Amino acid sequence: MESLAFAVAGSAIAAGAAIAIVALGELLAEKTGVLNLGLEGTMLMGAVSAFIVVNEFVPNAFAGLTAAVLAGALMGAVFAMSVVVFKANQPLCGLAMNFVGAGLSGLIGAPYAAQPTAARFQPIRIPVLGHLPLIGDAFFNQTLLVYFAYLVLPAFIYWLLHRTRHGLSIQAAGEDPAAADAAGIHVDRLRFLYATVGGALAGVGGAYLTLALTPAWTEGVTAGRGWIALALVIFAGWRPFGAVAGALIFGAVTSVGFIGQLRDWPVPSAYLSMLPYLGTLGLMFVPFLLRSRVRRRLKTEPSALGVPYSREEAGG
Amino acid sequence: MAESHTGQRGAANGSRLRWRLERRAEVSWQASVLARAAAVFFALVLAGIVIRLSGMPVASLAGRALQQTLGTRYGIGQVAIVATPLVMTGLSVGLCMKMRLWNIGAEGQLLLGAWAATAIGIHAHGPAPVVLALMLLAGALAGAAWMAVPALASAWWNVSEVITTLLLNSVAVLLVNHYCIGPWRDQLVRGAAVSYRVPYELPELTGGGLHLGMLIPLLIAVLLAVSLRQTKWGYEISIIGRNRRTAEYAGMPLARHILLVMLLSGGIAGLAGAIELAAVTHRLSGWISSDYGYLGILVAGLANGSPLAMLPFGILFAVLLNAGIVLKTQGLPLNSVTAVTGVILLFAAIGEVATRYRITRKALAEDAGGSDTADPSGTSAQRVCGVLDET
Repeated sequence: MESLAFAVAGSAIAAGAAIAIVALGELLAEKTGVLNLGLEGTMLMGAVSAFIVVNEFVPNAFAGLTAAVLAGALMGAVFAMSVVVFKANQPLCGLAMNFVGAGLSGLIGAPYAAQPTAARFQPIRIPVLGHLPLIGDAFFNQTLLVYFAYLVLPAFIYWLLHRTRHGLSIQAAGEDPAAADAAGIHVDRLRFLYATVGGALAGVGGAYLTLALTPAWTEGVTAGRGWIALALVIFAGWRPFGAVAGALIFGAVTSVGFIGQLRDWPVPSAYLSMLPYLGTLGLMFVPFLLRSRVRRRLKTEPSALGVPYSREEAGG
Repeated sequence: MAESHTGQRGAANGSRLRWRLERRAEVSWQASVLARAAAVFFALVLAGIVIRLSGMPVASLAGRALQQTLGTRYGIGQVAIVATPLVMTGLSVGLCMKMRLWNIGAEGQLLLGAWAATAIGIHAHGPAPVVLALMLLAGALAGAAWMAVPALASAWWNVSEVITTLLLNSVAVLLVNHYCIGPWRDQLVRGAAVSYRVPYELPELTGGGLHLGMLIPLLIAVLLAVSLRQTKWGYEISIIGRNRRTAEYAGMPLARHILLVMLLSGGIAGLAGAIELAAVTHRLSGWISSDYGYLGILVAGLANGSPLAMLPFGILFAVLLNAGIVLKTQGLPLNSVTAVTGVILLFAAIGEVATRYRITRKALAEDAGGSDTADPSGTSAQRVCGVLDET
């Protein structure tokens, strides 16, 4: 029983990492007031770019990762161009990017379907901790991106948002862009930057799938993870470590289903496969089940999320 | 004046000519049509350039695609068959859009509609018209039921319907696949997991694939157009869509409207699935929807939620999809169509913003600002729009 629990923990951590990275990137973008529904398509572009570069050009996982960052940033920048510069409808443009990403990744990835990845991220065992009985393997023998997803990135984003002046500017752009503008903050510049950064991180999340988790390219390899990341940002109440916790819960639910299939539990496998989606759906309700005082403290949706800002219309 | 800003500083001395970008009080329908036509045109040009660069003959491909989709009786029939679910899902998504709600789950609702229609069709026995009516009813109810959780969550707790509706799509696909692989699997069909054949079919209209179900989207489009424009319900929907806070102050029952609109939206998508099953596929399968639910978002986005505009845009995307199927035989993967549809939507969303402005060139008198106040009615209308648009 114990070994099962730790097996679940280990695979939960691995499965949740991709979503943690994507959710953290989107959290940054949303803090500036940009809602990107195109994460799924952006992840796919990252996943396919990483795979192609590794299998076709440089058989090195970091080369693949770089390609994914660039591809994701490009998708993010195109999105930012539409919604920040041209002020187009954010949900519509995000959805459009999903179509673009799904179509384009399927198109350029078609020749590579069902090939193994030529280079992948290998687990790194942390000295001492990695040799602990039971928990060593689950927690301290993971790939580099896993440590990045759960420790480095959330800590950095927390520090950026809550301990720096720049972070205050980010939050101001998402809370009250007109006031931020009046205070001399370049709202659109921040929004463009972090929508692009969010795209780049979604690319990293995609690369994690093809270079570490799966590791192979198949069409639609993301299987809704981009959307789940969006859900986690809401669940987390726009808090970095909340998003990480959500990703772990998602990972745990996924692994339970996976292990259930491996061990032939008497439940149709389709129902076990539904678990991650139903679990995420359940997570969406958690903030509303808390007592209202706690909820008010937790629910910190940026007031101007999804609302384009332009001086002329704000002036009124 | 805060409404406009100067594009380019004019020359010095006396007659200062300025290019100005002005916000329009009201967007003319001509501008909207033009913007969408331009979006489609530029997206196709972009696709043409990419295809050309990959070394394929663009002109002959385009000619063949047009010839085989719109040039033959069979092709037109096929376009109508594909347009039917697209218009329906467009109406479904568009209805929510009227209240600034996003139904990303039309795909799942459509699948559930087809699933419910199959259940009735396999198990019920009786006169064909009765069973068919039951199938359609079950489809609509199943679509609405699939929407129930997101609708309640959105109405009571303001839980993002974007995410909840979308997550249920994946669940619906798994559910339908489960039934096609398991309980309803027709063992006589080899190589593909499909359900038993439903023996009840919606009658054909004129041959060539045109079926009775095609009248349903027309009927719903007209019904929705009239009720959105003419009834108190439609009026309240449009107010809620423009500014929820205003609607709340005016005492409109917000939660009830959200609930009803979302359930209705789910029902329309579910009905689309039932029609598809009863008229076209006759068997349930995991691929019964060719992404109709997602494409419905494109249709609704381009139609900007207007029910009657769903018809031309539904047909447009049906032509694109069928052209993609034709071109697949010429070595152009279907995914290229998916990418192009995305670009169309992106361009259309940008074009939508462009229609809200007009470029004018005015000679400003020395007492600057004089021409700005020349049209006071326009300015106040702009103010009203500005107030209503902010949410």
